[in-house]
Amino acid sequence: MSRLLAVAFVLVAVGGLAALSGVPWAAEPSSAAVIRLAWRARGERVQRCRRRSADELARLPVHMRQEEVCERGIIPYRLRVTINDSLTVNELVRAGGAESDRPLFVFDELPLPPGTYRLSISFDREEDPDHKKAGSADEESDRRETDVLRQTPPHLTLDSVVTLQPRTIVLVTYDDEGRALRLLAGPQFAP
Amino acid sequence: MRSLQNVTWRLFARADAAMNRLYGWRFNPLYHSGALVVALFLVLLATGVVLLFFYRLGAPYESVAALTAQPWLGRWLRGLHRYASDAAVVAVVLHALRMFAQGRSWGPRALAWITGLVLVFVTLICGWTGLVMVWDVPAQVLAREGARLFDVLPIFAEPISRAFVGERPIPGAFFFLNLFAHIALPIGIGLLVWLHVSRVARAGLLPPRVLMWAVIGLLFGLALAWRAPLGPPADLFQAPGRAPYDAFYTLWLPLSRALPAGVVWLLTIAGGAVLLAIPWWARPAKRAEPPKSVVDESICTGCEQCYIDCPYEAIAMIARPGGTEGGRSALVGHVTPELCVSCGICAGSCAPMGVGPAGRTGRDQLAAIRAFIAARPLGARDVVVVACDRGAGGIVHDPAPGVRVWPISCAGNLHTSVVELLIRAGAGGVLVAACPPRDCWNREGAKWTEQRLFHDREAELQERVDRRRVRLIFAAAGDRAIVAAALREFQTEITVLAGVGAAEPDADVVRECDTAPTPS
Repeated sequence: MSRLLAVAFVLVAVGGLAALSGVPWAAEPSSAAVIRLAWRARGERVQRCRRRSADELARLPVHMRQEEVCERGIIPYRLRVTINDSLTVNELVRAGGAESDRPLFVFDELPLPPGTYRLSISFDREEDPDHKKAGSADEESDRRETDVLRQTPPHLTLDSVVTLQPRTIVLVTYDDEGRALRLLAGPQFAP
Repeated sequence: MRSLQNVTWRLFARADAAMNRLYGWRFNPLYHSGALVVALFLVLLATGVVLLFFYRLGAPYESVAALTAQPWLGRWLRGLHRYASDAAVVAVVLHALRMFAQGRSWGPRALAWITGLVLVFVTLICGWTGLVMVWDVPAQVLAREGARLFDVLPIFAEPISRAFVGERPIPGAFFFLNLFAHIALPIGIGLLVWLHVSRVARAGLLPPRVLMWAVIGLLFGLALAWRAPLGPPADLFQAPGRAPYDAFYTLWLPLSRALPAGVVWLLTIAGGAVLLAIPWWARPAKRAEPPKSVVDESICTGCEQCYIDCPYEAIAMIARPGGTEGGRSALVGHVTPELCVSCGICAGSCAPMGVGPAGRTGRDQLAAIRAFIAARPLGARDVVVVACDRGAGGIVHDPAPGVRVWPISCAGNLHTSVVELLIRAGAGGVLVAACPPRDCWNREGAKWTEQRLFHDREAELQERVDRRRVRLIFAAAGDRAIVAAALREFQTEITVLAGVGAAEPDADVVRECDTAPTPS
C-alpha cells in the first residue's frame, strides 16, 4: 500500500509538473482587433537663449558669469486619432529624455471590434506658447537650430478606411523615406 | 510573522511525516530541496550546452521547432532542460519556505537568506530569457511585457517596445543579448551558490545519489513521454491567442499585464524589501536570543574537535593567550560570536566539557541531569527519551508509563556523559531521538550524535556503557508513529535486559570524563 502510494505521489508530482509547464492561456482573450500606432519622429530642435541681467551676473561666482544661457529642446507634436468621426486620441507627444531633447516616440494600441472603420490621424507640430512669450520680451532672444532635411514634417495626416479582421493588428507608422504616415497590415519587410 | 512561521512549519511537519512514510527520511525530497536545486542546475548546464549547438539566432523559432521535432535527441534534450528548470523553481520555493518556517534566516544565517533571495530572482530572470529564446507566442508576450516594464525606467535612450511593434524585423541584437544573458546568468548563479554556502562547513551540495538519479530519471522519462510545450510562432500582427505558458516562470504575467508598469515595479520592490527584511523580523528579541558558545580556556586541551565539528565554521584554533606554561596546549578554541548560531554541537564534541553556550555545556547538562534523576529515581525498566526539541521532542511530551523525557535543544548538543550517567544511575535504557540527519536544524547534530554514540567520535560514549541500553532514532516533528514504535520495541528489549545492568548512583561522571589539566 505504501509503495503504491509512493508511486502514485511520484506520478501526480510529475504529471503536475508537466501540466503546469504548459498552462493554456490567452494573453488577449477577446476577438478584438488592434490599431497600433508606433513611430519615431525627429521634431524641430530649438534653442532658447537669453542674456542675463547685470544683477543676475553679479550674484554669480566669477567663473560662472556666462552672459548667455540657452535651453535646448524639441517642439512637441499633438496626436489626434479620429475613428468614425469620434475623436479617440488627443494627446501631446513630448520628446523623450530628461531634457526633452531625444526623438519623439508614439506608441499606442487601440483595441476595436472587428469591422470596417474610417480612420483619420493627424500629427501636428505644436508651437510652445512659453517659447513664443520668451522670445518677445525681457531682452530674451530665440534662436532655432534646424535641420530641415532630417526633421519629421510639421504636419502629418493619414485618412483611410480599414477593415479589421478578428485578432489582427494593423500598424500605423511613419515612413522616414516617404515622409508620411502609412498603414501596415502585416510584415512588409523581407523575412 | 511568528504565526505565519508556525503555520508554515506545521504544514512542513505534516508533509515531512507523510514523505518519510512513503520514501523514508533518507530519500525524503523535502529534506533535500536545496541540494536538488544544485543537481537540477547541473542538469540545466549540461543540457543547455548541447542545446546551444542547435539554436540559431537568425531563426530562433524554426530552430527550436526543428529540435523539438527530432525524436532521438532534440525532443528529450529540450524537454529535460525545460522540466528541470521547472522542477528547480519548485525546489527553490520549498527550500526558501522551509528555511523561513524553521527560522533559519537571521543572525549568521542572514547572508544565506539574502543570497538565496538573489538566487531566486536571478533564476527567474534566467528562466524568462530562456522562454523568450524560443520566440513563440508566450515568448512574444514575455518580451513585450519586459519591454513595457523597462520602458518606464529612465535608462534607455529609445523605448525597447519599439523593437516589437512590427515596423521592422526584430533586431538580431535582441536575440543575441537574450542568449548572452541566458548564458551569463548561470555563471552568476554559480558564484551566488558559492556565497550562499560560504558560511557553512561541509556544505551538502548534492542530494543522495539514489534520490538525485531518481529525480533526473523521472524528468528524463517525462521529457520522453510528454513533449516540452511549444506555442505557435510569434506574430507581431496577431493578438497573442491561446498558447501554453510555463506557470513556474510566468505566474506573475496576468497580474503584471493588468497593472501600470510603475505599479508593477513598486510591487516588485516592496515584495523584495519584505523578503529581504525577514532576517530582521525573524530575529528574536535580544533577551530571548540563545547565548553564543564560549570556550573555557582553562579547560580547553586544544584537541580541535569542536573546531572540526562546528557546522558553521564559527570556531577557530588560536594560539593560547599566555603561552603553554604548565604543559598546556599551544592552541585553544576560539568562538567567533558573529558566526555562532548557538546550536551547542561544540558542547557535545568536547570531552573535557570546556565549550558550549551558557547553560548547555557538558557540565551544565550533567548538573541538569543530576537534578532530573534526583527528582525521581530511575528504575531498571525505565527508558529515558532524550529528544530534540525541534524534532521528536514535540511529540513525546505525553509518554507511556516507564518513559521519561529529557528534552534537549539539539541532539548534537547532547554530551555522551549524560547518557552514561543515566545508565549508571539505574535507567534501563536511553533512547536518543534526533531529527533526520538532512533535516537537522543545525545541519550536523544528528550525524555527529550517531558517531559519538556508536562510532567513537570525540566525545565518544565510553566503552564501558552497554550499547544494548542505548538507542538512537531519527524522527521528525510529525513522526509520532515512528517514535511510538521505536519506544515500544526498545522497552521490550529493556525488559529482557532488566536485572543485567548495574546501577551506580554514586558514579562521578564529571571526574571520569574530565581529561583536562586541573585548573590552577
